[in-house]
Amino acid sequence: MNKRDGKLATSFLKIGSVAAGLSLWHMLAVYVINDTTLLVSPMVVVRTAYDMLFVTGELYPHLFASSWIFFYGFILAIVAGVPLGFVMALSPVVRDYINPWMATLYTTPRIAFAPVLLLWFGIGGGSKIAIVFLGCVFPILINSYYGMRAVNREYVELARSFRLRPWALFVKILLPASIPFILAGIRLAVGRGLTGVAIAEWFGATEGLGYLVFFAGQTLNVPILFVGVAAFALLGILGFEIVRQFENYVTPWKKQAQGG
Amino acid sequence: MAGPVLELRSLHKEIPRKDLEPFKIFQDINISLHDGEFVSIVGPSGCGKTTMLRVINGLMTRTSGDIFIDGKAAEELDHELVMGFVFQGASLLPWRTSLKNILLGLEGRGHNPKEAGKIARKYLDLVGLSGFENHYPHELSGGMQQRVNLARALAVDPRILLMDEPFAALDAQTRNFMQLELLRIWRETKKTVIFVTHMISEAILLSDRVIVFSHRPGTIRSEYAVPLERPRRMEMRSDPRFLELENIVWKQIEEEVNASGGFNQM
Repeated sequence: MNKRDGKLATSFLKIGSVAAGLSLWHMLAVYVINDTTLLVSPMVVVRTAYDMLFVTGELYPHLFASSWIFFYGFILAIVAGVPLGFVMALSPVVRDYINPWMATLYTTPRIAFAPVLLLWFGIGGGSKIAIVFLGCVFPILINSYYGMRAVNREYVELARSFRLRPWALFVKILLPASIPFILAGIRLAVGRGLTGVAIAEWFGATEGLGYLVFFAGQTLNVPILFVGVAAFALLGILGFEIVRQFENYVTPWKKQAQGG
Repeated sequence: MAGPVLELRSLHKEIPRKDLEPFKIFQDINISLHDGEFVSIVGPSGCGKTTMLRVINGLMTRTSGDIFIDGKAAEELDHELVMGFVFQGASLLPWRTSLKNILLGLEGRGHNPKEAGKIARKYLDLVGLSGFENHYPHELSGGMQQRVNLARALAVDPRILLMDEPFAALDAQTRNFMQLELLRIWRETKKTVIFVTHMISEAILLSDRVIVFSHRPGTIRSEYAVPLERPRRMEMRSDPRFLELENIVWKQIEEEVNASGGFNQM
């Protein structure tokens, strides 16, 4: 089987899998459960989504609210996480100083922080962004740290043999060598950031996808509930894809190495 | 005749160990190379020949002894690129194309970018890779990668080229080609070369002199001028003088291996 046939077969499998899943869902909803307060057919979800997007337009405020919170928290996490990870990798003193805090914060469930952050930052955007930030920052920080630590020793020796100065060593060797790791961390952060959005908007929010899902669940509005969940999923896929495209752009040697 | 380009005087390297005698890597190394000379170092595995090369290049510190380059202490010249190191693995940066890899040593050395690009291209041509300037390392074969590696070391126009088993990872055929290519490039650039290898025939084919190291701690056991004219050709490997020298050197390495506890100790 040549490469193109293989790709085609993979696409067929993917489409088939989605189609089979949706059919199963539809039959389960209509013929087995048959209770719209528990489960509705995917066709109902699609129709509801269509109405919310093109008829009433009520989905947009939620979508925008969540997107902004996600965006700010995510960018802040990159801005803070990458340099901090680098500093930790390059300075054992900083690493030992920060490590206990990082281990504690990383392993504590973020949902436990939510009420505290709400108390500190109020119910406005600040606390929500902080929750998203907390979700995103650790995978980015940890991957930046390990990326820089894992730089091939040969490259460092190469830099030494060319007598590169410390700054050139950083810019020309250490930084490019750790970029794939950093991007892997950023990809992980997309999912964790969206979880953060959902958590943040469950506490005292009046808009956002998390609020929508929470509210719909409370009022047994299953179609809207599923629209909210689907919107989260699509945001996740979109975020993932953006990072992937960015990855292909900044690490062309990786893309070609994988034949993609 | 002018003084030696590279001179090693009583070079000694040991690694301190806790609660134990220091671990001696090599000791009492005296070598001098004159301008344009090609010298190979052979010896049993673990005899310290690679470590010596790294010490000469300043990748590792030495315990005692002196290194002089054109009569000046190596420390005084540390910030200048008097030596080019050709690594055993090509160690090309995967995010740089072959041309950009060659540029690495030229950047930040006072060339304007255009000039540096021109120099890099010249060395790319020299190693026979014209047309591959925009290829990433993974798109090149092992032999081509080593060509880039060589071009990168040469591009900074070093006084001395230090080569650490650069062809060890290549298949036999590519290796033969690369040996001839190296000889051609050496003729054209007239560099002074120290070439570390474990392959005796390679050492003889390439070199003016072959230095045999003892087992660890490495010392110079013997030294031979290669009695073959230049330019060298592959056929010379069946020349009686070649075979005789190969036998002599092989016997010595065999003795060294046995003296260090035999082959199974390696």
